[in-house]
Amino acid sequence: MAKIELRNVSKRFGNTVVLENLNLTIEDGQFAVLIGPSGCGKTTVLRTIAGIGPQSSGQVLMDDQDISDLPPGKRDLAMVFQNYAIYPTMSVRDNIEYGLKNRKVPAPTRNKLIAEISEIVGIAPYLDRKPAQLSGGQRQRVALARAMVKKPKVFLMDEPLSNLDAKLRSQMRVELIELHNHLKTTFVYVTHDQVEAMSMADRIILLNNGVIQQEANPREIYTNPCNKFTAQFIGAPQMNILPLPGSDMSFGFRPEKVTLTEQAPDAFLKKKARIITREMLGSETLYQLRFDKQSIMVKSLSDVFLPGTDVYFSLRKEDILLFKRDENRLYPQEDGYGQALAAAGRV
Amino acid sequence: MQDTGKLGRKVLPYALVLPAILFLLIFTIYPLLDMVYMSFTDWKLVQPAKNFVGLHNYRYLFGRSDFWNALGNTFYYSVLTVISQFCAATLFAVWLRKNTRINSLVRTALFTPHIVALLSVAMVWSWLMNEDKGLLNMLLNLLGLPGLRWLNSAETAMTSLVIVSWWKSVGYYTVIIFSALQTIPTEIYEAADLDNAGRFSRFFRITFPMISPQAFLCLITMTIGSFKVFETIRVMTGGGPGKATYVLVYYIYMTAFQGQFKVCLACAAGVVLLFIVGLLTALYFMLLSRKVHYQ
Repeated sequence: MAKIELRNVSKRFGNTVVLENLNLTIEDGQFAVLIGPSGCGKTTVLRTIAGIGPQSSGQVLMDDQDISDLPPGKRDLAMVFQNYAIYPTMSVRDNIEYGLKNRKVPAPTRNKLIAEISEIVGIAPYLDRKPAQLSGGQRQRVALARAMVKKPKVFLMDEPLSNLDAKLRSQMRVELIELHNHLKTTFVYVTHDQVEAMSMADRIILLNNGVIQQEANPREIYTNPCNKFTAQFIGAPQMNILPLPGSDMSFGFRPEKVTLTEQAPDAFLKKKARIITREMLGSETLYQLRFDKQSIMVKSLSDVFLPGTDVYFSLRKEDILLFKRDENRLYPQEDGYGQALAAAGRV
Repeated sequence: MQDTGKLGRKVLPYALVLPAILFLLIFTIYPLLDMVYMSFTDWKLVQPAKNFVGLHNYRYLFGRSDFWNALGNTFYYSVLTVISQFCAATLFAVWLRKNTRINSLVRTALFTPHIVALLSVAMVWSWLMNEDKGLLNMLLNLLGLPGLRWLNSAETAMTSLVIVSWWKSVGYYTVIIFSALQTIPTEIYEAADLDNAGRFSRFFRITFPMISPQAFLCLITMTIGSFKVFETIRVMTGGGPGKATYVLVYYIYMTAFQGQFKVCLACAAGVVLLFIVGLLTALYFMLLSRKVHYQ
């Protein structure tokens, strides 16, 4: 188990700057999820921690020890790759054993570890098979076993579930959460899938263009985003953001916070709008509404409203988030909050 | 109508491969069988009569020291060629693996000899290896080293021929192995880095098994090719000095078309060659094919 710390880490590929002076601390035993749009540098952060493709400048620390110059094999961490990267010429057993052999672990210990780990991840019957004879899910487990058998202080995972089908993915998600609870090791997990991030993380680190946008637990990041990017990246459909009348600020609200009614309600914000589209999702329904040349998404439990008809949508005061001109949040304790909120109510 | 349609569908595939089959039958299978047949007769090019003599030709061949000498020379040449080409091609491929501009230039340069006609190669190298006016000895002398006798000494002649064949073929095999290396995904090496794999372990446990199908193909092609060596010998040494570079194919050629035109004996030697190459290939498959990793 270990704490990971990045200090002023920069990474350049030729003239392209991917990370610049990034500072990040991942606490011991945490399930940290790095998320962001593609090209945001999340995989680069992971590879920097692993030591494959090292940083251009800055330091990587593990338990306050500088490991910046240690080769990947000596860093006491294990990684699960997106396309598994298991050795195709070796049997499942050899795949799992290879890292142990290179660390000169004696044979009896190796065999005990392999038996133990393959039982946990459920690949014990396939130890003598070649990877080509396994299904995608089984290969995923082999990659996991190969990482686990080393008993590393830190697990690094680079979109490990993205090659699995939806059903297997949700199953593996639960298994990984259980695994983390069981091992209590530090996990650093990269994904572009916000469902994975929300469901698995103790702490979500949201990156964009190599800059950390927000670091918080899933609930905090969803309900209390610190800027427009975070607000719109997390949540599907994304948060509605509208310009604030009479200023260069804007305000936002989640689609599920909107109430739809046929009669004008008594609410803080109410507005008449036309329903443009309706998507039935089963338990809930998505509507696209248009008013004054603006459009918003609404997620509702009611499916009675029809496209082409007019409805009233309304919002409570506390469900409105305000954003300043620089796209950062305007918090209730800040100057001008009351005024701006009142402006939002007059939309 | 339907019946003929069915029949047509059954016949069509055979009709389509017929030209290829005919070609094989006339130019490969028939001569092969005829060779085996003639090896049991006493036919000479200058005498029309063909009498069946049983195993007489084989008994005669295996009783002659010059035949054994040719066999020995062939094996010596093959072992040296295959080992040196195989190791060098693998090393070059690994060395030229990075896709830099210089490396792609070197790869092309290495490959160029392959497209030059072997006869021209042999003539040029005859001159290069000339004991008195050759470039190689000139360079050696420039470095203050004594010149070598190259093709003129029984001790160095065979090795000189191996060098020529090595020069001509190594680029070709390098390109094959190189392209095999290109197909290995980089994450596998990153995983190996995290598994703390050493350089040798990386090569022998990961890289080499990954290129084993191409390596196996190269090994078989090299072996068969080296047993067929003829042109360089015909041009550069004529089997000499003495009988130092007399190899099996050259022996067959000389027996059939020079001196007494004993085609029957040449055929028997040809059958022996066929047998050896077949045996070696079978041996390779038995010993190595289980270790070859096919995707």
